[in-house]
Order: sequence, then structure tokens, then C-alpha cells
Amino acid sequence: MIRLVVRRVAWALLIAWFVVTATFVLVAAVPADPARALAGPHATPEELVRVRAAYCLDEGVLVRYGCYVARMAHADLGESYRTRQPVTELLAAHAWPTVQLALAALALQLGFGVPLGVLAAVRRGRWPDAAAGLVGLLGASAPTFVVGSLLVWLGAFHFGWFPIAGYGDGGVLDRLWHLVLPALALAAAGTAYYARVVRTELGEALDADHVRTARAKGLPEWRVVLRHGLRGALGPLVTIAGLDLGGLLGGAVVAESIFAWPGLGRELLVASTELDVPVILGIVLVGALAISLANLAADLVVLALDPRTRGG
Amino acid sequence: MTRATSVLCALLTACGSAGTDPRWRPTGERTPRPGGTLHLAMEFSVSSLDPLVAADEVMLYFTHALFDTLVTYEPSNPDVPTAGLAFRPGLATAWTISDDGLVYTFTLRPGLVYSDGTPVAAADFVWTLDRQLQKPGSALGAMLLDIAGAREVVAGTAPHASGLVVPAPDTLEIHLARPNAALLGILAMPAATPQPVGHDPDRRAPLGTGPYMLERWDEGERVVLRRNPRHRDAAHVYLETLDFLENVPRDLQFLKFQRGEIDTAEHLEAPDALWLDAQPAWARYVRTGETLQSYGSRMNVTVKPFDDVRVRQALNYALDKSHSVRLLQGAGVEAHGILPPTLPGFNPALAPYPHDPAKARALLAAAGYPDGFDTDYVVMANDEALRLAASLQADLAEVGVRVHVRSEAFATFLPELMSRTGPPFAKATFGFDFPDAADAFDLQFGTAGIADEGASNLSFYSNPTLDALLATARAERDPAARAALYRQAETIVYDDAVWLWDYHQKAVEVVQPYVANYQPHPVWIRDYSHTWLDLGPDGEPVPRGAP
Repeated sequence: MIRLVVRRVAWALLIAWFVVTATFVLVAAVPADPARALAGPHATPEELVRVRAAYCLDEGVLVRYGCYVARMAHADLGESYRTRQPVTELLAAHAWPTVQLALAALALQLGFGVPLGVLAAVRRGRWPDAAAGLVGLLGASAPTFVVGSLLVWLGAFHFGWFPIAGYGDGGVLDRLWHLVLPALALAAAGTAYYARVVRTELGEALDADHVRTARAKGLPEWRVVLRHGLRGALGPLVTIAGLDLGGLLGGAVVAESIFAWPGLGRELLVASTELDVPVILGIVLVGALAISLANLAADLVVLALDPRTRGG
Repeated sequence: MTRATSVLCALLTACGSAGTDPRWRPTGERTPRPGGTLHLAMEFSVSSLDPLVAADEVMLYFTHALFDTLVTYEPSNPDVPTAGLAFRPGLATAWTISDDGLVYTFTLRPGLVYSDGTPVAAADFVWTLDRQLQKPGSALGAMLLDIAGAREVVAGTAPHASGLVVPAPDTLEIHLARPNAALLGILAMPAATPQPVGHDPDRRAPLGTGPYMLERWDEGERVVLRRNPRHRDAAHVYLETLDFLENVPRDLQFLKFQRGEIDTAEHLEAPDALWLDAQPAWARYVRTGETLQSYGSRMNVTVKPFDDVRVRQALNYALDKSHSVRLLQGAGVEAHGILPPTLPGFNPALAPYPHDPAKARALLAAAGYPDGFDTDYVVMANDEALRLAASLQADLAEVGVRVHVRSEAFATFLPELMSRTGPPFAKATFGFDFPDAADAFDLQFGTAGIADEGASNLSFYSNPTLDALLATARAERDPAARAALYRQAETIVYDDAVWLWDYHQKAVEVVQPYVANYQPHPVWIRDYSHTWLDLGPDGEPVPRGAP
């Protein structure tokens, strides 16, 4: 068990190292002067000299790489050339909105997806299954920019239930009120996917021997489904949710842009249109680390949940 | 997402049932009512609130609100398009100019303080202007080179420009090495705002003298400004707070406006502008004003085929400028040059090149291109620029010029445009730093603006006759004589077809009925320093149907 945990942690570290190295290679591979790429097209000669020194750009590739890793280890990601703001400061400021959105979207995906999947599995082949399938098909095939625009139009503009866009003024309730539509837009595809995963896994589990035994013992059906059936479906679900959470924490570019949500995804969009290389690298790094960490967390949860995975 | 919303809007039968007519009405009160918050949104985010860094249009909204200058401009007036272009006293109560035009003496307003209470001294101006000269690449610094001793500061051989003198604590003298009739306009730029001696401005913590001060800035989300009670004219600043949302797409801005979440919306998307045009009830709340933004296409006149004036004229005849104005939903005026119609020097005797494909083909044939030619055309990557480029592409195809449109991010677009080896044919914009023909002509068409990289003269056009004319105009102090010189200059660049002239942009903004005394300003564009909210006695907007 301990060995397994150590191995997973080591994997996560390896992935982090790989990402740092990949971003280094990206900057080094740019055909233009890397100092110019990092400092921006409007940099003055003085700024270029500063960047060259900070990134050891006048040294050999190995020294440069060491320099880069050392800076990363000190959480020094340089500064945005558009705003002159340190990248770590920018990441810190925009991480919290993204975390809120990611958690809300994940909660909605689970909250709608799992019951929908259970319903479809229990009533396989009958109308609730077909209805859940249709909802799933729509959710999975509609891109976020369509779902998002539709939600803005209906939920905010036409009916006025929610604000049109933005982050709210600080109060918890106001924040939640602003959070609903972007989280829904983001959760649409996930909900559909989770419902299908639960339907498949639960469907298989309900045919398994131990479930038949439980039924034979005369347990009520809801207990059979939840205790004995769903438990087997949890493993794949946690793995998928872990991956999703990691992806969401890296920033949701489309949903955040549609809803003017001040998270990492929208910053990535702004930085990309401005070719703000340090910011792009910083957000990519955070996204990759989030995925590997969330993956690690999901692995550990699965280990704890399902004794069968502890074999080694 | 922009178009997606509009398409969905068209598809849904329920479309238009929400917010077709204004929901509120003005009370008819004439006396300004102090207090309240104006809610606004903008498409982009603010990059910095340091007045010393180069400003973009978004930054200008804030630097103008936060920082006052020695001289400033009259407020805008919907009935007089040139109203906002006249100087009036700002931090200085008065100024005199010596007969030779070389010495400017400014008397500071008594009792001036920064928003934190620090007194403003004449020495603060010297400190700030010296800082601008010391700063490499400072746009304002480059405009101050006529001040005596300024070139030494730029070169690093002197810490201080000898032409900046403080004979008394409340007096500032600026001695010029050469006359420069545009100096007042330069000093009215927010970058020329004073900062206390020894204070280096911070991008997040502005210390200013303007009507507003920074209350809160959640970067990328919102900027909140609060009325500065220590402002020299605080009694005539009415709104207590200005609450700007950042990074809100334009279509969402208009939805927010219709729902009453924001009080004003500007630069509308095409479907929204068309919808608004069809609503008579909204007509009186649409505010339109001239701006100092000129658009066209630069051609590198040193590169084939654009080195031939007949080719450049042919393109000017080929482009149908009325298409551009239509694509802007009328938020533009067809152009014959770089000067907007409101500026002195604009030559009313000239007219935009007429749309004449036959003449264009004849000129191309005469220049040796009877079958036209292929060329790239580079624009910035945004919807509006791409739409206009497609229209240009179609117009030029009519005369045999095959245009291949390429779009680029702003970050690479501008440096490429300013490079001699950059794309020879590209969309170009000129936003005036101050309302004076000198700004456009010296930077865009003067030989001094040419450099291999970082050129301000985007066409690399050099004409000794024009250079001599611009030098004379710079020193000419009589406004009428000066305007006459610039009219001549306009004729030269018009005949030489230095740019493919296209349009001057207008500001179009729609406000809620209770937003009183607002008109886009020709220089500052969004200037709410005299705006007030015409609300009911309970501090809420009055519903339209209410008695």
C-alpha cells in the first residue's frame, strides 16, 4: 500500500518535471531571440539585458536549463510583459475564481450525472433510459459556447433569473448567484458523460453475482442499487472526476470568456492574443500540475475505496 | 460566442420580448444631483495605472479620470463637435507665451493637492518631465525634445533638462530650444501629469490630482474609482463611484445594458446597433461624437508595387469607403486624409477619392500592372478588422488586385508594421495623442519618423517639401496661418496617396435615460467627470410609466 502511494507520488513529480522541461524546450525552440519572446516585442534594450541575465541566456543550454529549473523551484515565473505584473502574483489572483468554478462544475456534473445514470441503469430499455440518453446526447454534443450563450440568453436575459455575466460583488450569496450559469455551461458535457459511465458500470454491476445474492437475501431494491451496485461503479467515476477536476483547475477558456469570469482560462485567452509568453507558460504549468495532482488524489481515493486495486 | 448569441436570438421566437423600450425615464430635473454609482463594462482589461507608461485607449479612460494636467480641454458639447478640443486651465490657472514662442510660463492654481493630501509644487512637474525624458522609449519623452536641454537628458549626459525652471514655488517656466506650437497639447496628455518629487508611480497604486481616485482594482475583473474630494473642481464632479467591469464581451455588454445591470454601453456589435437604430424610443439616449481616430491602410512606399504613386492612387480609387462606413453601422466618416474633420488643418477643399474602378484600372495599366498584382494584407485579429478587410479585398479584386488577408495578434502586428521589412500592405490606425495636426503629420509622414525598426512613419514616406512645410508649421504661432500650412500638407499626402485613406471613427454610446450630462469627449472618449444620475427622490431610477 505504502509502496503504491510512493510510486504514484513519484509519477506526479516526474510529470511535473516533464512539464517544466517541456516549457523550457518551447521557449528555447522559438526561432526568434528567447529574450525577446520573454520580454515582449516592446521591450527596451535595458529590459532585454535584464531578461538575458535572469534567464542565463548568454550561457550554454545546460546552464540555461539549470537556471530555468532553479527559477521554477523558487516559484519565479518572470513577469507579464503586457502588465509588468509578476506571473506568480497573476496566477494567485486568478486561481481562486477558477477553483470556485471548477468545484461548482464538478459538483453539478456529479449531482446531475450520477442520478441520471442510476435512473437509466435501473430502468434500462424503458423510457427513463431513453430520456436520459437524449439528455446525455444533447449535453455531450453541444459545445460550451453554444450552451453558454443559450444559458445567458434564457437564464439571464430573457427570464432574468441570474446576472448576465461577471463575478459578483463579494458576498457569498451574490457569488453563488453569479456562479450558477457558468458552472452549468461547463458541467453540461460532463453531466452527460458521467450519466453514461454510471449507466454502463452500474448496469454491469447489477448483473453481477454478489448483487443477485443481495437481492436474493431480500434487501430492498434501493439498497441493492446504492450499496452493492453503485459501489463498483465508483472507481471509474472517481478516476474520471479526478481527471476532469485537474482539467477544470487549469482554467476553462470558453466558459470563463463567455461569462466574463476572471479565472485562469480567460487570462490564458488574453495572454494568447497578446503573445504574453511568461503568462502563457505560467498557466500551462499550473494546468499541467493541477492535472497530475488531481490524478494523484483520484488514485489515492480509488485505492481507499476499492480493495481490489491494492494488489500492487 | 458573439454571433452565436445573435443567431440564437433570431432562432428563439421569444426574442425581443425583454427590454425593447427604455425601462426608465429622466425626471426632468435640471440641477445636477450628486452621488450614486455609474456601472460600466469594457471589452478589455487595464494593463497599468502608471501614468508614465504609454497609454492605450482603455488606459486613457482611467488616466484621464485619475490624473489632472496643467492645461486641459473644454467639456464636450453635442451641438458643437469641436467644443472638446479647446484648451482651458487645469492645474495652471493661466499661462503666457513669450513673443518668440520659446518661453511658456504657467501659474499654478493655489492650494492644489494630490488625492492623499500632499501639496502639488511646480518642482513636481520638473521631476515628472525629467523622468519621462530619462525613460527609454517614452512616447511623451520623444515629444518633449524641443525643450532646452531635453536631448542631453535623453542621451544620458545630463540628469535634468535645463529648460525646465521653477522661478517661484507656484510658477513653472518651460524654455524651448525651438518653437513648438503643439506644446500645450503635449502637456495636456495624462502622461504629463505631475508626481511628487522622488515618487515613482506604481502601476497599482496611482497617486493623482484628477477628479477620481482608485478605490479598488481586482485585476481582470473590475476597477472601481471614487470621487476625489480634494480635486480642484470637486464641487462639479457628481458621481460618487465609477464601477468598471473588465473583459466583458461586447454582446454581453449590451445584454447587461438592456437588463439594467450597467448604465451605458458603447461600440455595439452590428446586430445590437441595427436593433437600436430601429427603436425610436431609444434614439434620444444614443450619444454620438467625433473621435480622433483615423483608419486606413499603410503602404510601404519604398517597396514595389507601392513605390509607384499611380498604384497607390489606383487603390484609393478602387476602395469603396461607403462600404466601410456601412460595416461600422454608420459609426464612421469617409476620409480623404489622416486629419478628422474637427481638427484645424483639415482641408475641406479635398474630397475622399471617389469609387472609380475604371480609373483605378487605367492607373494600374499605366503603372505597368494591366492584370493587377497579388499582395498580402495584414490586419489585427479581431472581428471588425477582418470584416472590413474582406470588404477591401472584394473592392480591390474588382480592379484585378488579388489581396490575401492575414491576421495577427496585436503584440506582433505593431512591431511588424513599424519595421522596414514588415508587410508592405497592412491596416493602419492613427489615434491622436492630442488634437493637433502636428501629431499626425510629424509622426506619420515626416522623414524623422523613419527607422528600420520602431518607425512611427509607417509608410516610410519621405518628402523634403513636406518636411520643410511641417517645420514651418511647427514654429508658426498664428493659428490661422498654421492651419493653412497643414491644409497644404494634407494636399501633398493626398495627391501622393501615402495611405489608402478609409474612415474616421465615431464614438457611439447608448446610456440609460437617467444618465444626465453625458456626451463622448473627442479627446478622452469616455469622460464622466461631469455626468450625474437623474434619479427619483428615493435614489432609484424612475420607471417609464410612473407619473
